[in-house]
Amino acid sequence: MIAAVWLRAPARARLHALRELYRRFFGENTPDARGRRLLAEWLSPAQHAQFEQHRYFDVIGCDTGKRYRIHYGTAANVHEIDDEGRAAMGWCFVPSGFLVPGDVMLAQKVALETDESAAIALANRFPPATHSEHFYRRPF
Amino acid sequence: MATQIVMDQTGDTRHEFDPDNAEALARAERRFRELTGAGFTAAYRTGPGEVTRIKSFDPTAQETLFYPRLVGG
Repeated sequence: MIAAVWLRAPARARLHALRELYRRFFGENTPDARGRRLLAEWLSPAQHAQFEQHRYFDVIGCDTGKRYRIHYGTAANVHEIDDEGRAAMGWCFVPSGFLVPGDVMLAQKVALETDESAAIALANRFPPATHSEHFYRRPF
Repeated sequence: MATQIVMDQTGDTRHEFDPDNAEALARAERRFRELTGAGFTAAYRTGPGEVTRIKSFDPTAQETLFYPRLVGG
C-alpha cells in the first residue's frame, strides 16, 4: 500500500520526502542538536522554560548575585541585567575551540554560577548597544 | 553507570563507566586528571539546574561535565 502510494507520487515529491527524512534523521545527531540536548539536560526547569520561549535564559552570579542573560549564540551573547531588566553591560567569554552554541552557553552558565569572578576577570566587555540578533545564529 | 561528558566539536563525547569496577574507576580518574591538566573545567550536577565545580575526582559523581578553558571573546 505504502509502496503503491510512493510509486505514484511525482518524482519531485519523492525527492522532497527523502530530503525531509534525511534532514530529520541526521538533524538529531548533528553537533548543534547534541549541544542543545546537553544544555537542556543541565538547565533548571525555569531556565529551560525561559530558553524555550525567548532563546535566552538568566543565571545568577555566585559571587555578586548579579543577574546575567545568556543568549543563544557563540560570542558576545552574555549580558549583565540591571534591576529594571535592561542590559547594563555585555561580557564576552567563551570556551576555547569551536564549540556549538549549546555547549558554549552551558559553559557560560556553569562559569557564572560557580566561579563568576574568574569568568568576568577574563571576559571582554562590550556595550550592550552592540547587542543585536545579527550576532546570533538561528537556532532550531 | 556514571558518565563523563566532554564538550568537543561533535557536541560532546560521553565516557560511561561502572563506579563499582576498580579498573574502570581508575581509568575515569586518569581521564579526569588528563582533562583538568589540559585546562578543562569539571562540574557535576547537584540538582535540577544546580552545578558544582570540582577540582579533584569524585567517584560518587554520577555525571561529570568537562568544558575547555575559557577565554575572553
